[in-house]
Amino acid sequence: MNLNSVSQILDFAIEKEEEAAQFYRDLAAKMGQQHVGEVFESFAREELEHKAKLLAVRHGNMTLIDSQRVTNLKIGDHLVEIVLSPDLEYKQALIIAMKAEKAAFRLYQDLASSTDDANLKGILLTLAKEEARHKLRFEIEYEENFLREN
Amino acid sequence: MSESEKKKYDLRRREMPKQPPEVRRYNFSEVALGYSVESAVEEAKRCIQCKKPLCIPMCPVEINIPAFIKSIAERDFVGAVRILKDKNCLPAVCGRVCPQEEQCEKTCIFHKKGGQIAIGRLERFLADWEAQQRELEMPEILPSSGRKIAVVGGGPAGLTVAGDLIKLGHKVTVFEALHRMGGVLIYGIPEFRLPKVIVTREVEYLRKLGVELVTDFVVGKTRTIDSILEEFDAVFVGSGAGLPWFMEIPGENLNGVYSANEYLTRLNLMKGFLFPKYHTPVKSHLRVAVVGGGNVAMDCARSALRLGAESRIIYRRSREELPARLEEVENAEEEGVIFDFLTLPLRYIGDENGWVKAIECQKMELGEPDASGRRKPIPIEGSEVTYPLDAVVCAIGNSPNPLIGATTPGLKIGKKGNIEADEKTGATSREKVWAGGDVVTGAATVILAMGAGRFAARSIHEYLCSL
Amino acid sequence: MFRVIASKMIVPNMHLLTLAAPAVAREAKPGQFVILRAEEEGERVPLSLSDWDAQSGTITVVFMSIGSTTGRLALLAPGASIPTVVGPLGNATEIENYGTVVCVCGCYGIGSIFPIARALKRKGNRVITIMEARSSYLFYWEERLEAVSDKIIHITRDGTKGHRGHAGRLPEILRGLEEPVDRIIVNGCTFLMKRTSDETRPLGVKTMVSLNPIMIDGTGMCGVCRVTVGSVTRFACVHGPDFDGHQVDWEELLQRRKTYMPEEVVPLRTSRCEERHLRSQEGKS
Repeated sequence: MNLNSVSQILDFAIEKEEEAAQFYRDLAAKMGQQHVGEVFESFAREELEHKAKLLAVRHGNMTLIDSQRVTNLKIGDHLVEIVLSPDLEYKQALIIAMKAEKAAFRLYQDLASSTDDANLKGILLTLAKEEARHKLRFEIEYEENFLREN
Repeated sequence: MSESEKKKYDLRRREMPKQPPEVRRYNFSEVALGYSVESAVEEAKRCIQCKKPLCIPMCPVEINIPAFIKSIAERDFVGAVRILKDKNCLPAVCGRVCPQEEQCEKTCIFHKKGGQIAIGRLERFLADWEAQQRELEMPEILPSSGRKIAVVGGGPAGLTVAGDLIKLGHKVTVFEALHRMGGVLIYGIPEFRLPKVIVTREVEYLRKLGVELVTDFVVGKTRTIDSILEEFDAVFVGSGAGLPWFMEIPGENLNGVYSANEYLTRLNLMKGFLFPKYHTPVKSHLRVAVVGGGNVAMDCARSALRLGAESRIIYRRSREELPARLEEVENAEEEGVIFDFLTLPLRYIGDENGWVKAIECQKMELGEPDASGRRKPIPIEGSEVTYPLDAVVCAIGNSPNPLIGATTPGLKIGKKGNIEADEKTGATSREKVWAGGDVVTGAATVILAMGAGRFAARSIHEYLCSL
Repeated sequence: MFRVIASKMIVPNMHLLTLAAPAVAREAKPGQFVILRAEEEGERVPLSLSDWDAQSGTITVVFMSIGSTTGRLALLAPGASIPTVVGPLGNATEIENYGTVVCVCGCYGIGSIFPIARALKRKGNRVITIMEARSSYLFYWEERLEAVSDKIIHITRDGTKGHRGHAGRLPEILRGLEEPVDRIIVNGCTFLMKRTSDETRPLGVKTMVSLNPIMIDGTGMCGVCRVTVGSVTRFACVHGPDFDGHQVDWEELLQRRKTYMPEEVVPLRTSRCEERHLRSQEGKS
């Protein structure tokens, strides 16, 4: 993995978004319940939107805004890893997504700490924040739907 | 309200007699004892019969509240019952479990001064009074229409549809999966909040009206909806939200970890609190923790207490945010349920025999307000705490059972597993199939299910008349 | 109320009950079960369907008399009625033309595997039935199973019929068949199913078991029947009762089945007369 320039990092990130979209599409196809398949399809579409945003940045049409601290609700952290099967429910789909976004966040954080280049570090931390924001979006959805009585 | 007006109006809500906490925490008898005739009449006389009543629009089943209250004040209880039952076929149930404080009583003109009319208590009084009378007045039933409707689920939504349609002259059959009618009324709400003899009575009333009640019948397994439609003109699905949610944390399958459904079904439907007279076993636990903060959690915690356990509620947020009815929270506190707020379970810890022996939790704090202004709970690092116990009840919510969706082609299901239905009519994506209650909205209240049943019944009736 | 048509003990401790339940009989499929209550105060218990007749509207269950509820069911006489028979519940056993299917059964599983073997035979499979019991006098329905099997093999602990031993003899028996086996289906007690799955795992043959956890409603409402299969929590009543035996967490199932052992003994120790007395006292208070 060659990440010595901003453009290489962006290419890497774009590839990762495409992989994530594919992951969700594959899951969608395996779902026994149609409405859960549709949930994964919508997650795949979101990853493609992220990819489009990064493509725009890559081609200079947009800059990545370094947002402030992203809240971490830590909702998915202590939950068990959901084993993939055709009988997943919406609740479990959200847990899968939360954990996937967290893994992506960790990845960018680790890459950022492994470089001394301020410029590269900056972009990697910004990408980490993007993933954190995606994770938050799933956490909020989980909280609103499945933590009403808790 | 001016001082002189305050003197003119009686703003003193008449107290509801209750079993004292130190007595009731040891029995399953009803906590609230009901108004005496005198208290009821006094309370009813307080109502000033507003010209534009603010209470009626808040009632999901559109009861003519001021009218029945006036009849009570005039001691015309027969007339009052007639008005009440015109709109509500389960008044003894609603008078006990409806969150009137969020509905009709909230908009009462006296609410600001804390003197809102105790509409719920009056409703209960009337229903209980009627039950003591020898003869029940039967409502008018229209001539037979020759049409047949199948109702899936004998819970509040289904029973309301049945009650409304039978009076309009249609033939109605209710199919219930369990061996008693009532749905949550029979398996979910404990004896001390809703005595089952009342549910039986309300169900009997429907039988007397001519509704055919079939238990031990699982639509989707015993017969599919398509098979039923070969014999019936329309189907209403009120199968509720009975699929339990678990915490998805390690150790969930240890012995002693229950879903709220299991815990309550053993006690309420199977009368496990009378074990061994009733054979479904119920364990005597020493320390029970109930995770959750809704009415179901309160019911579980208060039941555990009555079975002799030290009972605690573990809730992720603060007391102000408990979704349970305030009345039930206060009852629980009085009875001695321990409350652990801002606490989140991380994992169950088991012993060498596979029994849960402790639960490890994390403490939470309220973070910054989000866009809606609510402060979200955030875990505090390093704040882990372990509670020794021998049972945990997961009362964090339910979603609809997927069986009907999986066995009815063409029935559109939403992402949460709920049947998609029109808000105003209950019509689904399948012709001749309506749905309402928890199966559409997710777990909600009895009265909302009844309201949905009312709207669906109207829509079904229109359809049947058009045939 | 559901009427009892026939009730008899077929071999020591194993009972057969035929009930009038037309709605269930019409839809019943091999591998499914019903939930019964023997009386108003009774528990809800799951029993596998062993046979049914849609024409006459009857179902037949075979069960071991082992607790208070099965004990009471065993004492029912024809003409009596029970308050609850609900079903058919659970998913039907997958029946395809697999080739050669070995049906391993013991105890109440001999009854429940009969409709499965029958359906497999009708679908064109070669059916080899292996019946296991402590002793030969505990075998039943042998003629019925012979009629739907290409071969029947017996295993008895005491060697009074067939191979001497238990499920541990299976690998050698399967080798002795000298033909490839495409699928194995096991019905019977937890130990039989577990042991069979353990023995067939190295052979790489798909082994389907019919799990028997504690149940109450049987429709997916309470979760007490939850089992772990391949690290995923499943409800046996709606996702099963059939599962891949090589993926089941057997230790957990055995542990969960013991949850009410102390309590289950209490009704057994309370006589009917005492029960009636206790109930009449309650009526007075």
